[in-house]
Amino acid sequence: MEAMDLIVTAVKTAIIYLGMVQVVPIMLIVERRGAALIQDRPGPNRVGPFGLFQPIADVIKMMMKEVTIPRQVNKALYLLGPFLVLFPASLVIAAIPFGDFFTLFDRNYVLQVANIDVGILYVLAIGSLGIYGILFGGWASNNKFSLIGAMRSSSQIISYEIPLGLAACSAVVWYGSFSLREMVSIQEGTLLGVLPNWGIFYQPLGFLLFFIAAFAETNRLPFDLPESEAELVAGFHTEYGAMDFGTFFMAEYMNMATMSGLMVSMYFGGWHLPWISDATLLQWLGSRNLLAALQVLTVIVKIAVFMLIFVWVRWTIPRFRFDQLMRLAWKNLIPLGLFNLVLTALILYFKGAA
Amino acid sequence: MEAFLPVGFLLIFALLLCIGLFTVKRLLGPRNPVASKLAVYECGVTPEGSARAPFKTAFYLIAVLFLLFDVEAAFFFPWALVYRQSLSEGPALLIAMLVYMALLVLGLVYIFRKDCLKLN
Repeated sequence: MEAMDLIVTAVKTAIIYLGMVQVVPIMLIVERRGAALIQDRPGPNRVGPFGLFQPIADVIKMMMKEVTIPRQVNKALYLLGPFLVLFPASLVIAAIPFGDFFTLFDRNYVLQVANIDVGILYVLAIGSLGIYGILFGGWASNNKFSLIGAMRSSSQIISYEIPLGLAACSAVVWYGSFSLREMVSIQEGTLLGVLPNWGIFYQPLGFLLFFIAAFAETNRLPFDLPESEAELVAGFHTEYGAMDFGTFFMAEYMNMATMSGLMVSMYFGGWHLPWISDATLLQWLGSRNLLAALQVLTVIVKIAVFMLIFVWVRWTIPRFRFDQLMRLAWKNLIPLGLFNLVLTALILYFKGAA
Repeated sequence: MEAFLPVGFLLIFALLLCIGLFTVKRLLGPRNPVASKLAVYECGVTPEGSARAPFKTAFYLIAVLFLLFDVEAAFFFPWALVYRQSLSEGPALLIAMLVYMALLVLGLVYIFRKDCLKLN
């Protein structure tokens, strides 16, 4: 690699990372206004036009708040907790493809932080590290609510990791590749001439499992047992205030964006527009970089739709009970995941044999 | 290995963000510690006993089961990668997977029969 390549890659990484961090303020306002819309109330509408500056006010408030470190905590782990959640949440972004590639100074650069050929494994491996932060934070707080929240959270996240992994595994069987980039490029074109050639039509059950597990992995309602504010104050982050709480919050939204990005890449055609092939688009637009911009826009719109679904579900479906949650994972999702894997293998076999 | 170089950049940026957040919080936030402010918050009630209490073994069991099943599921991944290319070589890989899957399902049924996941 030359120096030029290194600089472009670093700038590209910085832009993608900053873009993903922007998810947090945007989702702050979208979630609050979305909740208000569903609950038939105005929501935050005082700061700036239509309350659009509300996230800025929220962030300033969080930063200016008093820093309290409760007396009973295990200080090192307590301080480390939020960052151990944010750090892996930041790293998983690397695997999500935002587009094919763009050209700069006669060189092609992939529209992805890193073109990792084991993308899925990377996401599963790094993504599950966030659990350490939750466990450390919850245990170190030395508060019963925090401890219960952390125990619930860890058992929930590890339980739903299995259906998530099995659904991803079925997708790997179908595409024959670990690379998310390759998966997206396979999804170009149409299926039977009418439907876009997207993964969801080949892996509907896999998508459903992945979708449900994604909610549990990100601790969102209806699976937000770790924080269930009616029972546990705030769950594992009860003793956290100010920006520490904000850090957990950031990590949650970034995880949601990553999960949405994964679903978009694996099941919804990634950067492809439905029905129109990239070659046709390139002909219309006439420029590689314009096409790249359009692809990034497509991915962002698709991710935004999933984020809206996350908000919509949160304010529509009531919370599960903890044993129901575990039963759902072990008695329904895991057998279904195994079934989906066998089904995919059998379909591929008979398709290949015929 | 070169493909992972940008991940190194991302690592640095993520570290910078963490350090930045930590510093900003330290610099901007006022400090006025009072004994009752630093006490355990358990809905305002005076806490009974320590939070370093024993918890349900069910959680431990779930962790153990997760280890078993996740390692088993991890064995599927290499198989998943080569399965498509092996289709032309007959059903050997399919049968091997089905046998392995049968063992897994047997384990799952055993867990259900033993009612290991009792949480209430």
